[in-house]
Amino acid sequence: MLRDITLGQYYPADSWIHRLDPRVKIIGSLLYIVSLFLVKNYWGFGVALVYLAVVTALSTVPLRFMLRGLKPIFILILFTFVLNLLMTSGDILWQWRFLKITRQGIYNACFMALRLIFLILGSSLLTLTTKPIALTDGLEKLLSPFRKIGLPAHELAMMMTIALRFIPTLMEETDKIMKAQQARGADFETGNIIRRAKSLVPLLVPLFISAFRIAQDLAMAMEARCYRGGESRTRLHEMKFRSADLVAAVLLVLYLAAIIVIGRLL
Amino acid sequence: MEALIRTENLTFEYTRDEDELKIVACDNITMEIPAGSFTAIIGKNGSGKSTLAKNFNGLLLPTGGVCYVAGYDTKNEDTIWNVRQTAGMVFQNPDNQLVSSVVEDDVAFGPENLGVPPLEIRERVDDSLKRVHMYEERLKAPHLLSGGQKQRIAIAGVVAMKPRCIILDEPTAMLDPQGRDEVMDIIHNFHREGITIVLITHFMEEAAQADRVIVYDAGKIVLDGTPEEVFSQEAEVRARSLSVPFPIKLAGRLRNRGVDVPDGLITDERLADWLAANRKNLRAPGAAPYRESDINLKRRSGKPIIEVSHLVHIYNENLPYETRAVDDVSFTVDEGAFVGIIGHTGSGKSTLIQELNGLLKPKSGRITVDGVDVTDPKTSLRDVRKKVGLVFQYPEYQLFEETVEKDIGFGPKNLGLSDEEIKERVKEALRLVNLDYDEIRDRSPFDLSGGQKRRVAIAGVIAMRPKVLILDEPTAGLDPQAKRSILAMIENLRHKEGMTILFVSHNMGDIAILADRVFVMDRGKLAMEGTPEDVFHRVDTMRSLRLGLPPAAEFREVLTEKLAAADPEGLALLESLEKRTTLTLWQTEDLICNWLNAGSASEEGGER
Repeated sequence: MLRDITLGQYYPADSWIHRLDPRVKIIGSLLYIVSLFLVKNYWGFGVALVYLAVVTALSTVPLRFMLRGLKPIFILILFTFVLNLLMTSGDILWQWRFLKITRQGIYNACFMALRLIFLILGSSLLTLTTKPIALTDGLEKLLSPFRKIGLPAHELAMMMTIALRFIPTLMEETDKIMKAQQARGADFETGNIIRRAKSLVPLLVPLFISAFRIAQDLAMAMEARCYRGGESRTRLHEMKFRSADLVAAVLLVLYLAAIIVIGRLL
Repeated sequence: MEALIRTENLTFEYTRDEDELKIVACDNITMEIPAGSFTAIIGKNGSGKSTLAKNFNGLLLPTGGVCYVAGYDTKNEDTIWNVRQTAGMVFQNPDNQLVSSVVEDDVAFGPENLGVPPLEIRERVDDSLKRVHMYEERLKAPHLLSGGQKQRIAIAGVVAMKPRCIILDEPTAMLDPQGRDEVMDIIHNFHREGITIVLITHFMEEAAQADRVIVYDAGKIVLDGTPEEVFSQEAEVRARSLSVPFPIKLAGRLRNRGVDVPDGLITDERLADWLAANRKNLRAPGAAPYRESDINLKRRSGKPIIEVSHLVHIYNENLPYETRAVDDVSFTVDEGAFVGIIGHTGSGKSTLIQELNGLLKPKSGRITVDGVDVTDPKTSLRDVRKKVGLVFQYPEYQLFEETVEKDIGFGPKNLGLSDEEIKERVKEALRLVNLDYDEIRDRSPFDLSGGQKRRVAIAGVIAMRPKVLILDEPTAGLDPQAKRSILAMIENLRHKEGMTILFVSHNMGDIAILADRVFVMDRGKLAMEGTPEDVFHRVDTMRSLRLGLPPAAEFREVLTEKLAAADPEGLALLESLEKRTTLTLWQTEDLICNWLNAGSASEEGGER
């Protein structure tokens, strides 16, 4: 049933990584992504692998959960691999008409594929170990300095919170309306594209009306509970920078330094 | 007592979008809500009672006159947050008022907005959640909770703001009986703790629990007094499209038959007490005669139209959260029958009715409807839809076309009928739901009133000319008047058009009066089946299935208890009368009148 969908891909656990300040995790993930582009050779990936392995072990997220994240982008990885394999010029090892495989091609293809895999695995750790709501809170805090230049940090975070809350509600609503129209003989499955697009009207019109009704009700309810924007608002979960976060930050800096040094020396 | 909310000539006017009609939702209202009181406001849909409530906490501002909350004028922008914090508000739809995807974060929303320090928010959140018995669920996502639980979270969210008054706008309208009871219990608890309660409701039994009832109509306060005072004026209350609690209704009917029942016996207990105490001195000259008989007149025999055998439906098969929503269910329904389907939320009722319509495919088992095998993969769904019409809960949410005519024509069009025929069917369907074709055909379905929208939506299903019509809670959220007319319409479909009706409802009173057979679902099984009399007489089983009883059966229970304690002879008389006559629970007044007569007759030496 639609009720059982899980949002994002949060893996509930109470590990050292789970307990870190979301801000540290967000910045850490960003720096990790940057670091992957600083990697110049396979030694660098070795360091990244060690880092990733340590963080994964600390997070207690099972490996198969992480690997699951690779599934949807498998095609992309394959495409990148093949493209690099066939399109890089250099010492030709094999050739068939205009397709050729070169030594540099093999190197590049493996390199790019590895970079993508590391990218996905590392960044999925963020969503696996951080609740969506903590993520939005963290983003709000991190973006708040940019309020001065007109970035509506609080409003953006609020929008994300509400979206997270109402996606399941709207899914249920969609399911209900779809069934009601099917009971009146509507057919959403057969026919060509134009027919199918047309058949969505009886679904989309009530769904939009429903969404507007929810928005109206929610706005009223929020106002009744004294919502007046981000000014002077306090939070139940205060983000505190604790000693564990400091340790994490130090580890992160060490990792970055290692990547840079190895990139230079080897 | 100090007035927590006070209005002086409060007026609120607005222009309705649909027809640019000027509406006066509050017409020069001067009233007070004393601190610590429990006020119920009743009135039909569109009477303006919600608007009045929204004026009480400054969500709407008066267009004339003043509204003071704890001394603050709601029009003063500087103190509007004090107003809203003093008078918190809970709304009808439990889904649309929760902000966060984690329960405790949602409860924290109000205090966060007020700038309460984090440690104190924590305390308030935990305390509020414990007080609504939802502390264990504090880390869950709201969409996984039941309606009653969600509504309790909404109440906790208001309580965490430490209000002096809670205004509830039809908080139980969308809940099942169990959820309704949970919410009402919580409301009573907070009232006992000294919080002022303003409850807007369509349930007269809930209003009767307040210490003051206000009847509101067309922007004016029509009646205002204790529940006893207000509901004793039955004619006046009914004239406002409302109804009265069952004991008042019954007392009125007894009076019509010549029994001199005093006013104000507003609860089952009080009426039963009075009857038990005065039985021997009472006679009912106008009692309807009865026949000595043991056949049930309501039972009809006909050929079976629905046959279900060994039906099984499993959600999430082979997953840890696998549920057997329908578990080996078999039954038949005769042509022209009116079957009531009851069971608490999650008992498998809605899965079952979707199976009957072919929307869901069962894991195993067989369903045939009027010769068509619904479960056979080779059967075209179009053939099924011609046999079985399914009206979902809140069917007006499925309306989508520009005009009423086009919307009702959607189903017939999908059946591939000609334009002529479609028009014919739309006309017929509108007639059957008591709407005027020429008047309504070109209007947008979105401009209609709530009751009209629901009729149009039901017409959309009737236009497919099903032999069997399944309705899921067709009266949910309607006011008493609209409810009565929808029920009369359904009765008519059955008697005049010969449709077989399957009626899913939590309202045991409706089922008792309308149905000639009742199916009771529990955890996917068909737990009980029989006439309403059979089923509702098994009080203990019904209670163990967490189901309520019809008001008449509820009253009979109370009366039986009182008699057992005070007047065993009277009880024996009542039971023998029920056993050997055609008098049933549902003609409670006739049963009681004859019981009174039989009692006084035996006193006077058996004249009868």
